[in-house]
Amino acid sequence: MFELDALIAEQLTEVSLNSAVQVRCGNSNSFVVTASTMLPLIQSFGMGGVYISASRGAVEIIQAFESIGVDVSNIQFLDLVSSGILGGTDVPYPNVHFVDSPIMLESVLLRTLYILRTSTFERNFVFVDSINALSIYNDDRMLAEYLHTFINTFRQREVLSVLINVPDQTPPLVLANLDLYCTALIDRGQVVIQ
Amino acid sequence: MADITFSAEDEEFFGKVGGFGVPKFDAVMGGGVPRGFLIVAFTQTGSGSELFAKQFTSPAEEPENTILISTNEAQQEIIRVYEKYDWPLDIGVRTVGEEYNASVLERDLLASRYRLEGFQLPDIQRLAQTRFVDTENRDFLTEVTNEVMALDPYFRAVLDSMDFFVQREDPARVISMMRMLQAHTQMVRGLLLVTISADGLPPGMRQEVAGIADMVLEFKVRTIGTDFETSMTVTKFRNAPENLRILVFRVTPEECITPETVERIA
Amino acid sequence: MMPSSVYTRDRCVTGIHGLDEILRGGIPYGSTVLAAGTCGSGKTTLAMEFLVRGALAGEACAHFTATEPSVKLLENIRQYSFFDMNMVDTGLINVFDVDVLYSWLGLDKATFDLDDVHALIKAIVDIVNTIGVTRLVIDSVTTLCYKIKSEQLIRDFLFTLGKKLATLGCTTVLISEITSATENAHWSSFGVEEAIADGIIVMGDVERMGHLLRFLQVVKMRGTAHSRAKHSIELTQLGVMLTPMLKWGAVSDQQSRWGA
Repeated sequence: MFELDALIAEQLTEVSLNSAVQVRCGNSNSFVVTASTMLPLIQSFGMGGVYISASRGAVEIIQAFESIGVDVSNIQFLDLVSSGILGGTDVPYPNVHFVDSPIMLESVLLRTLYILRTSTFERNFVFVDSINALSIYNDDRMLAEYLHTFINTFRQREVLSVLINVPDQTPPLVLANLDLYCTALIDRGQVVIQ
Repeated sequence: MADITFSAEDEEFFGKVGGFGVPKFDAVMGGGVPRGFLIVAFTQTGSGSELFAKQFTSPAEEPENTILISTNEAQQEIIRVYEKYDWPLDIGVRTVGEEYNASVLERDLLASRYRLEGFQLPDIQRLAQTRFVDTENRDFLTEVTNEVMALDPYFRAVLDSMDFFVQREDPARVISMMRMLQAHTQMVRGLLLVTISADGLPPGMRQEVAGIADMVLEFKVRTIGTDFETSMTVTKFRNAPENLRILVFRVTPEECITPETVERIA
Repeated sequence: MMPSSVYTRDRCVTGIHGLDEILRGGIPYGSTVLAAGTCGSGKTTLAMEFLVRGALAGEACAHFTATEPSVKLLENIRQYSFFDMNMVDTGLINVFDVDVLYSWLGLDKATFDLDDVHALIKAIVDIVNTIGVTRLVIDSVTTLCYKIKSEQLIRDFLFTLGKKLATLGCTTVLISEITSATENAHWSSFGVEEAIADGIIVMGDVERMGHLLRFLQVVKMRGTAHSRAKHSIELTQLGVMLTPMLKWGAVSDQQSRWGA
């Protein structure tokens, strides 16, 4: 039986729509944390949203959710990984969209905005999985700048931002900016020794 | 190429030679023009070649297999001449010049109107709904060639005149089409008269055309005192050089073009 | 004391997501704007959306297409949900094939002389005036000008056309095909279009680690203060979407992909 982290749901009840939540996790618990964050958003709060997958392909994530009995067909996935794999975009899910690469950060922002414009949900979230994955491809300064734009864009539009992050794999500059721009922190990370 | 067989009945009816439509000329040419001949007439303005072209169709052994293709004259004018001389009116007549005017010149005229007067609302609405350029750039040379090539054995055809094509088409194409026409005429034992203006025709092209032809006629006009003298000169007659001669002719109300049979003393 | 009123020109609100913001309200009415861009940079889509947004507001619009047949253009543009074929059917958007126009005017020839240029101007102005067109797109002015051999004549053509269209209150987008959108590039093929145009919008690509990101930049727009920053552009089914390009990613890796 898959066990969710109930405390995350509790913490999420305290954030407003125009918040930006940094969710820290470790390598070993990343899916537990992800699922524990997503589930209350979908099931308890009845939100729609966009799941930006930079760490793994969207299909893998969808199947992981399906394996624990969670229906994510109402969530739109923006897959930044699969275009880099030949045949990776041939997927059986209509709710998966693609951006060519995680380095096309502006395209990610615009595509997310586009998907949200077509959303039928009253309340929406953007779920970034993950900042550390984005930092693999992008220059620290550019990613830091991007986070500023990204978070503020959605806060302004009253769209909840949830940013998954494995802190010990994220460059200090990005981490510092993330801490600065996010309005809430859910920390399920491993101990960081710097 | 498919073999053509000629029925004995046809061979007897049409004979080895066909008339020029000018009995006295037939007599001088040993009975007429051999079936399968392409006749090229080099002409001068006012020399009577247009009249001769029409007269050449007048024997019309099979009216439905006889055609006059005119590039300069209008249908009405042609009919008037046929009625005047009581020639058969049931032959095929095609007036390429009129067709050209209708399709090309009309468009030019319309363009001038648009440029001068501008577009009116109905024009604009039509323009907004027109998705393709009317590319009906008609290829009259191919059309005419195909029309002659489609004629049945023992046809009789006149193309008056080739100038229309010489002025508009690549000379090599014109020559190539003439070769095709000559081959078809020979193969189906037809009779084909093609007129072409001698003025301004490049010498090389004239030589080629004359080379393709089985018979070459030259129509000339000159002034003698206050009179005009029209003549036709046979400068080539394949395999019958004895037929080469100069024939002065006049136009009579009864016989139209008719050579003077009285030998003149120079 | 009452603050003195500041004169602002009336705007043609493009309706394009983000562009009006960049232009601080839209294009000043009657302007001739050069939309210069490299191939595939989204010029035609941008221009078409400009017309569609106008049509949605009840404005009569015209599109002269010289680079692709209108049939193809309409087929391509149908994929965008903002476009409705009814706009064409009801005459709100009028798409003209330039080759048809040439044929009607007897201009189907290799080069244009002065008379031909005047005939072309007259035809376009006639159309704008008769239908009451307030938004016009010529796609592309480069193709049109190819037939005009003298630079002076190109200048006269664009100047006269722009002046007449401005008088009629028509806001015009002239699409210009360029091969490079770098800092040192010309924004037009013949060099004269950019001097005559009231505004220049440049569209091109920035290369980032082997990927091309489309950008749009308003270089000049007479009669309005505007952002001159590079904006990233995305062509979505809902239309063109813009967001400021990341400052740390606005320049192609090391150098422009088209060289210095």
